[in-house]
Parts: sequence; structure tokens; C-alpha cells
Amino acid sequence: MNKKKVLALVTATTMAASLIGCGSGSDTAATNADSTEKTETESSTEEAASETETSEEASDEAAGDAESTETAQAGELSYTSLSLDDNKDLTASIKFLHHKTDREEDGTIANMIAEFNKDFPGITVTTEAVTDYADDALLRLSTGDWGDIMFIPAVDKTDLATYFMPLDTFDNLSKELNFVDNWEFGGNCYGIPYMANAQGMLYNKKVFEDAGITELPKTPDDFIAALEAIKDKTDAIPLYTNYAAGWTMGAWDAYVGCVSNGDNTYANQKLVHTKEPFADPGDGTGAYNVYKILYDACAKGLIEDDYTTTDWEGCKGMLNRGEIGTMVLGSWAYAQMQEAGDTPENVGYMPFPITVNGKQYVNAGGDYNYCINVNSSDENKLASLIFVKWMVEKSNWCYNEGGYTVVKGGKNPEMYSAFDGCEVLSDQAALSGEETYLNDMNSESELSINAGGNDKVQRIVEAGATGSESFDDIMADWNKKWQDAQEELGIEVLY
Amino acid sequence: MFAFMIVPLLLLFVFTYLPFGKMFSFSFYNMKYVGARKFVGLKNYIKVFQRDDCFGALKLSLYYMLGSVVQLSLALYLATILSFKVKGGNIFKGFMFFPFLINGIAIGFIFKFFYTRGFVFDTVLQWCGFQLDNLPYWLRDQRINNFSLVGTSVWRYFGQNMVLFIGAIMSVDAELYEAAMLDGANRFQQFKYIIMPSIKTIITLNVILSITGSLSAFEPPYVITDGANGTGTYFVVMHQIAHTQQKVGLASAMAIVLLLIIFIATILQKLFFKYVFRSAEDEDPRAAIRRERAVARSIKKLEKKSAVGGK
Repeated sequence: MNKKKVLALVTATTMAASLIGCGSGSDTAATNADSTEKTETESSTEEAASETETSEEASDEAAGDAESTETAQAGELSYTSLSLDDNKDLTASIKFLHHKTDREEDGTIANMIAEFNKDFPGITVTTEAVTDYADDALLRLSTGDWGDIMFIPAVDKTDLATYFMPLDTFDNLSKELNFVDNWEFGGNCYGIPYMANAQGMLYNKKVFEDAGITELPKTPDDFIAALEAIKDKTDAIPLYTNYAAGWTMGAWDAYVGCVSNGDNTYANQKLVHTKEPFADPGDGTGAYNVYKILYDACAKGLIEDDYTTTDWEGCKGMLNRGEIGTMVLGSWAYAQMQEAGDTPENVGYMPFPITVNGKQYVNAGGDYNYCINVNSSDENKLASLIFVKWMVEKSNWCYNEGGYTVVKGGKNPEMYSAFDGCEVLSDQAALSGEETYLNDMNSESELSINAGGNDKVQRIVEAGATGSESFDDIMADWNKKWQDAQEELGIEVLY
Repeated sequence: MFAFMIVPLLLLFVFTYLPFGKMFSFSFYNMKYVGARKFVGLKNYIKVFQRDDCFGALKLSLYYMLGSVVQLSLALYLATILSFKVKGGNIFKGFMFFPFLINGIAIGFIFKFFYTRGFVFDTVLQWCGFQLDNLPYWLRDQRINNFSLVGTSVWRYFGQNMVLFIGAIMSVDAELYEAAMLDGANRFQQFKYIIMPSIKTIITLNVILSITGSLSAFEPPYVITDGANGTGTYFVVMHQIAHTQQKVGLASAMAIVLLLIIFIATILQKLFFKYVFRSAEDEDPRAAIRRERAVARSIKKLEKKSAVGGK
């Protein structure tokens, strides 16, 4: 009897022990366990603080945290002062969590790491590609067990210092690199984009030629006329919505802001204070007319026959072969479209067809940003920073993906030739103290502009194609949701 | 005793009750996955009842409940046929059970292409003489797209229900059928008076599982249509609120409300079946008396006939 009891207890303790083992990683178990504990205590103190205090005070405190980390690490590690030549013999093992599943599969990432190891043979880089990155990365982040380098998911700026190491001060970094203001907080930069996108629209040059379109459309009316010409004169689908994939619809949000109104302070600063962001300005500009293009195209039957069964992988080849006229996607998609068929020379990229006061604007901004785990060991932090710097400056990844250059003065790919004569703007960062407003507003209003709000754009397609709702009703509804959220969050209406 | 229970109890606690308790406490906060939380009391629950997309999505469950009625009657019908001696019965059973073994996500992808315009389903219907122009868009048309999705779920689960039913029917004593046949009962009467009452427990169980399953339908709409175009069920809406809008507190409250709804639905069904099957049992003796009378009448008729024939 006694023996049995002992046996059972032993089994129970082994089970419990193995459960504990689950929490930490394989190679650096001890440090990881340490770091998880750290994150937990930190977040719990923050929790307690924010429960009793107002959000402003909490953000102040977090800012204070950021400053203290800065002083602790100043002089030790920073992107600009780091020299790639000095650390060739460093030995470390780091893990890189990313979202480029396609590049993981086709070996691009493995090739880059092999190239990296020629310079730094002692640094072992393991990678993990996550399919549903935007959601899963946040979950992984909250567990604290994700590796050393990742792409920053949608966290609040006040939380940056809790999770990530400051890479450098904004002043230093912005002298060498473009688009580093996305994840700037309290004077420090926590992320560096792996590539940048200039937002425009994909089109097939041959389809445009066959339809007799000699000049790229510059206004919504011209664009709809061009789509109608494609429908009449060719067999191609004028505008492929990619409705079924969902996230592809969210691409339309990228044109809210400076593309449609020429104001690069709008998206991150003014939008949250705007009373009616979706009202019709009446001159063919603004967010209203961005979405109106989609609605009109759907209402006039200028999209694919059955939009609910669109196929994302299939559409790449269709655009390449000239079965699709235009598609609204960021410049990152350009390289994939070229690879998908035998006529890459027909794939073109053009500015979004909205003209503000006689001028077309292009919005360029960083894609996902590299960041480094604040709880990694000092050695891993150094190795990670070396890897990030190498990836940004030496890997050529940005250029190969058809990205707008991140390094100042770098070479731009050929695809941006149609952007000559357009003004390239980069969205200004949010005003200090208002960094979390846009995330809060997106979440509260559930419009999620540029943050995965795919269903709201899908609604436009449904309404346009079936006539179930008028476009003005949808815009009025969005305005109301926006205002309700402003009221709920107590955000001042200024515009 | 306690020492042996501790392992399963610990696992149950760590993976079920602890997360559930956490979720319950989340439902009182205004929070995201990361970042600060704010206690808001019952505000999330009030929102669940105020928003039209939450309870509007529950209406879609009616489609799935309708589907589960079709699914269960089909399963019961086939189970009854297959539990008598049928040629190649085991092969049929295997074929019909097979869909249940496929992963739900894979089924979603299969049916995404199955319903695509001009693909599998349309081609098969064209073989049967339909014109493509007369066929609806299975996923685009909002009047029928929910039926299309329910169809996939019926296809997947009826085989499993059927196998459960067959198992239950097998346990019925074969002598009862013989006795019934001697009494002149046909197949339908055997089904109604012998099989149904004998397997009522398993029927109740299947009905309860299907109804609660239809309240929490998730895979077909999530994989095939991403919940767009009027197919977003309660679960899909909850997923969107939790992961896209990051309103974790609100989504937790939705989950708790759904749990309560499922509790209520289950209790109501329990009561309903208790009532229905009790009256079925009550009917039994009376039916027996009726049968005896009928038999007596037919014997009389036979006697008369033989009497007439004798003349």
C-alpha cells in the first residue's frame, strides 16, 4: 500500500516537473526561465499600476522605464556605433521569428543565413516562420518565449520597452536609415524595417495596351473608365478583389492618408482627431473616394465573377499571364507576381489613381520591423544586433523583394519608375503622448484601419455587388463608429 | 485513492479549469493581449447584449440546427437499414464514416474548391443535365451560402452519428425482432416500437451534441468563407473580436454568455426528451392491446373466409 502511494506521488511529481519543462526553450533553458519570470513580474506591476491610475500616468511610468533601460545600455549596444568588422569571432546561438513563410520554404532565408555565416561563422541562427503572424506573434510575445529577434507585431508603443531592446536613439538612426520612426518611443528606436513599401497598385501592362489605355489613370473617374475599357476590349478581369483571402482586402486601407489627401501628418496624427474621416470632400480625394473606387467597380461588375471563391495563390499567375487587369496591393507583392509566370515584364506598378490639387502622392513606409528581445542574454543581444545590421545593410533582401530602400541613398528597384513625378511622402509618427491613440481608436471602433480591418472592406464588396447597402450609408456608419470611439476614449475632436 | 486521482485532476485543472477561470476574470476587464488592463465590471456583458452582431450571429445557428435535424434523421435511417443484413454493409459504413476522419481544416479547403464557380460541384451537376447559367453561386449568393456551409458539416458528421446509432442498435436483443415479426410487425413498426425506445439514450445524446455543436459552429465558415458575406457565426465573430480587434475582455464575455446559452439549451432538451419518451413508453401497452385486437380481427376474417370457401 505504502509503495503504491510513493509510486503515485513520484509519477505525479514527474508529470508536474515535465509541465514546468514545457515553459522554457531547449538551448537556453536557464536564461529563458529567468526572463519569463522577469516579464511576468514586470507586467504584473504594470497591471496593478494601471488598474488604479489613469492611463496617462501609466504611460509616463513606462516612459520612465524606457529611460532607465536606455541609461543602462547606452554605450554598450547601439546600431550606429556597432561595427560589423569587430565582432567576427563572436559565438552565439540566436533565434529569428518571422512571417515570411514563402521565403522560408523557397530557401531565400537559409541562403541569406549561409551568406551571413561566411562573415560570422560563430553565430548560429535558427528561424521559425509563422503563418498567421499578426495574431500568433502577439500570443508568443505575451508568453515571453519566442527567441531573440522577431518582427514587431501590433503592440502599444508604451509597451515597447517591456519587450524589446532599444536599438539606437532616433537621432542617430535616422541619419543612416529611412522609415525608422514607426517604432520610435521616448527618443529611442525599437525597430528597423526589413524593407519599405511604396503603396501603389499592380497592373498588367499588356492588358492596358490591349484595352487601348496609353496613359496611366490618375483620378478615380479615369480609373473606372480604364476598368470599363478592359472589360469591353479584353477577356481579362478588370479588378481582382481577392475578397476570399481576407487580408488582401485590408490593403485598401493603405491609401487612407497622404495618398488620398497629400498630408503626411494625417494618418498618424490627425485621423484620430477627425470628426468625419469618411465624409466626401467632393473633389475626388480622401478616404471616401478610395473606397468609392472599390464600390463602383463592384457595382458596375468590373470585378471577378464569383468573389467569394477567389484564390490568392492562383491570382499571382493570373496577373502575370494577363488574365487580371489590376490588383490593389502593396509593392511587396510585385516580386511575387513577377515570379508566378512566364511574362514578368508585363507586371507593372503604378501610383494609386487619386490626384490632389494636380499632384499624385505616394506613401512609402517601413514594412515589418526587426526587434530584439530585451530579456535575451547580453551575448545574444550583441549577436542579434549584428544579424539585424547585416540583414539591413548587407543581405540585399530589401532590394530583392522589390522594396523601397531602407538604407539612405540605397538603390531602388526598377518597378518604381512609374512613380517619377509623384511626390513620395512618409507618414509622420504620432505626436508624443498620443502614440497609442490610433491603436485604441482602431480597436474601439473596430474599423482597424491598416490593422487587419478586412471585414469592413469586404462589406463594401458585398454591398457593391449585391446592392444591399448604399455607399453613403456605409460611410455614415463608419463615421458614427469613429465618433462613438472618440467619445468612449475621450479623444478630442479637432478637425 | 487520492494519489491516483492527482495526475488526471492536475491535468484537468491546468488545462481546463485554470484557463477557464482566467477567461472568466478577463471578461470583467477592458484589455488587449499585451498592455495594461482596466477593470470595467459588467460593461462587457452589457455590450454583448447591445451589439447586434453578437446575437445576430446566433441566428445563423438556426441553419446549423436545421442541418443537424437532417443529419440525425439521415444517420438514423441509414443506421437502421445497415443494422439489418445488407450486402456490402461494412463497405458502406466505412465510406460514410470516412469524412469524419478528415481534419476539419482540410474539409474546409476541399469544399472551398468544391463550391468554386465551374469547379467540382458545378461540373457534377452539369453531368446531370443542369446548365451552368442556371446554377446559383454557392458561396456568393447570401440566400444559399449558409446552406452550402451547413452541407459540409452534415457531410462530415452524419457518418459518425450513424456509427454511434448502429452500435446502439446492435445491443438490441435480436429475439425481439423475431417476436415482432411473428406478431406481424413490419420494418417500420419494428423501428418505431423496438429500436427507437431501446436507443433513446444515444439519440438524446446525439441531439444534444448536435444542437450545442450548431451553436458553436466554427470551422466551415472560418475556413471556407472567413466569416464574410453573412456567414459569420457566433464563434467567428468572437474570434474576430478577440484577435483582430483585440477586445479580449469582450470576447471572453461572449464566450461566457455562449456557455450559459448552451447550458440552458441542454437543460431544455433534457426536459423535452424526458417528456417525449415517457409518453412513448406509456403508449406501448395501449399499442400492444391495439395489436392484439387487430390480430383477433384478422383471425376472425380468416375464419369467415375459410367458412365461405368451405361452402
